[in-house]
Amino acid sequence: MIFREVEDRDLIAKARRGNVDAYNVLVSRWEKRVFNYLLRLVGHREDALDLSQDVFLKAYQNLKKLEDPAKFPGWLFRIAHNEAYSLLRRNRPEGELAVEPKSGESTGRMFPIELSLAVQGALSRLSDDQREAVLLKVYQGFKFEEMAEILACPVSTVKSRLYTALDLLKQTLAPVKMGGAE
Amino acid sequence: MNCSSEDLKAYFLGELSSRDKAPVEDHVRACHSCREELERLKLTRTALLALEEEEVPRRISFVSDKVFEPRWYETIWRSGPAMGFASAVILAAAILAHAFTVQGFERPAAAPVTTTVDTAQIEQRIEREVSARLDAAEAKQSAEFAKVLDATEKRFETRRQADLATVQQAAKYYEMKMSRWEVALNDARAGQ
Repeated sequence: MIFREVEDRDLIAKARRGNVDAYNVLVSRWEKRVFNYLLRLVGHREDALDLSQDVFLKAYQNLKKLEDPAKFPGWLFRIAHNEAYSLLRRNRPEGELAVEPKSGESTGRMFPIELSLAVQGALSRLSDDQREAVLLKVYQGFKFEEMAEILACPVSTVKSRLYTALDLLKQTLAPVKMGGAE
Repeated sequence: MNCSSEDLKAYFLGELSSRDKAPVEDHVRACHSCREELERLKLTRTALLALEEEEVPRRISFVSDKVFEPRWYETIWRSGPAMGFASAVILAAAILAHAFTVQGFERPAAAPVTTTVDTAQIEQRIEREVSARLDAAEAKQSAEFAKVLDATEKRFETRRQADLATVQQAAKYYEMKMSRWEVALNDARAGQ
């Protein structure tokens, strides 16, 4: 982990000096995570890909402004967050809920494809803010403080969004068994 | 410790410090409801992580573009070793220039004897040279003057000879006239 961090730092230093090849290596390390984060946030593959390209282009153009290379992941996802919300604001009027999922609520044991559909459905029923909090915490593993920097909001807001989202997801993905359990 | 949904979620998400973890773990062991809640959270996370990441449809890659490449001076400026070397070169050049400048001022004081000897010799050489040149110039001038004087004397002599001849002719003419007047006067006197 430390070795990887040092390598990223080295790549960032080279990219800052105009080494495009070094930057491409850095992109190759992060593109899948950024793409999936955007895909789950905006729900459209082509949009997610376009946004990913914009994110890495903006990151390259502003790489000199990154004061601490160790904070590159949070900084990168901050750019991704801004790009995604710009698109969401353009495509969707303020306050409108996300598109309802095709799949229904899950009950009992599910096959992998069913589980994937159930998860996608449960995630899509969350608000954009709640879904993004889950994506950053569960899928990307950021700490509350890092999430607060990415989302530009207080830690208390991050907690509120995430806890509410977990309660909603729990109802769909881990419903209380009828007649007591365990 | 009472049941706390927030503490349980923070514990589940790994956001509690090791000191804050212990009371929550103790409570979960003793509280059936919280234990069940924690299991549901774990099940939720397992379900969420079952959603596989998709591959990026097209690799994102950038090509070198002049617009994004730093200018040559930016590259030099950011290059620590290069800047250090350039600074060392400039410093060395400044030291050398200063050293040469200082030596230039000190040189007259450092070699007074050599300068005296050189000056005496140079003065002697200059004197000899000037004398020789002067002698040569005087000789040449004297020769030219003598030549001009000789030519002038010859020209005056020729002129004097010519004038003398003219005077002699005139004298002869007057003498002849006088002779004629005397003859005529004598003839006149003889006729009276």
